[in-house]
Amino acid sequence: MKLEDFIQQNRNAFEEEGPGPGVWAALEKELPVKQKARVISMMARHWWKAAILVALVANAGILLIFLQTKKEVAVVIPEMQEMEQFYTTRIEEKLDELKRIPAAELGLDSTTSKELELRNETYRMLEKELAGNPGNERIRSAMIRYYQMKLELLEKILDEHHKYNNDANNSDSTPLIRKNVI
Amino acid sequence: MTLYPDNLENTPVTNQIVVRCRKGDVRAYRELYEAYSKAMYNICLRMTGQQADAEDVLQEAFVQVFKNLDKLATDSSLTAWIKRIVVNHCLSYLRKKKVHFEEVGEGEYEEAEKVDESEHAMTVTAVKDAISQLPDGYRTVINLYLFEEYSHREIASLLGISESTVKTQYMRAKEKVRQLVKIKTREV
Repeated sequence: MKLEDFIQQNRNAFEEEGPGPGVWAALEKELPVKQKARVISMMARHWWKAAILVALVANAGILLIFLQTKKEVAVVIPEMQEMEQFYTTRIEEKLDELKRIPAAELGLDSTTSKELELRNETYRMLEKELAGNPGNERIRSAMIRYYQMKLELLEKILDEHHKYNNDANNSDSTPLIRKNVI
Repeated sequence: MTLYPDNLENTPVTNQIVVRCRKGDVRAYRELYEAYSKAMYNICLRMTGQQADAEDVLQEAFVQVFKNLDKLATDSSLTAWIKRIVVNHCLSYLRKKKVHFEEVGEGEYEEAEKVDESEHAMTVTAVKDAISQLPDGYRTVINLYLFEEYSHREIASLLGISESTVKTQYMRAKEKVRQLVKIKTREV
């Protein structure tokens, strides 16, 4: 029998089993669309977390500059105690809400979480300044700025978290109602 | 007889898979892979002769397939297109291994053609073993012709050599297989 005919007649018998599972496992990681989608999803989910620390550090910096400025402050200062009460209550509320989210889901690192606490280093510095100069308007304004920035940041974090979770799960988790504090 | 999932013709099913892949449906990529991986792996295995290398080449080829699905013209055969990508990857693997597909003189081709083919009983194992023992160049030509069903002209174009060289190499390869099978069946 001719070789050509023999192979033609026994074509199936020449076939080996398919490749091992490792080939698909490796290919899966290189799928053009999935990879793109994954990067976008990662960016959507995590960009703001990276931005938090930058914002916190920048806020502290802004406050320092603010304290050193001789310029008149445009912020209207209400009664100090009342003002403190107003902001700290809201900040604590937001922090509580944030703490209820599982750490793994939130994905904030310890440095950022520490910075987010109400009484962080910036707060202590302002508190010390204020104790030394109780009547100083600039320090009091800086303190208000500190509260406002912190509250806005916390609201932003929670907003982003809820927004992402709603998008991802298509669930009806309670949207965060932004409070107009300024 | 064909081992390919949809012959060389596109079917509504394969067309649908391609459309879904283009939309980024991960499951469609998997289905495409499942449909073709066995047949394509067998090409790689025959061409490289090594299981691990065959898997590597198959993987590289499928990366290309997935990346370039957009470029596949709607009236082109998906099977022929995938097969060509796989074969090209096998050939570049062989070229990296410094396999040269060399020209031979016309006279040698005439001589090789006179081989007597009225031979004794062959077995699949003996033929397989014989082909696997061929030098890379011969094995490539014989595989492309007998198993992948490319014409001498197509093989010449794939390997960048003349059609007559392909014919000569094929005849020589076949003669070598015949001898090896003879030895093998005598041993048994």
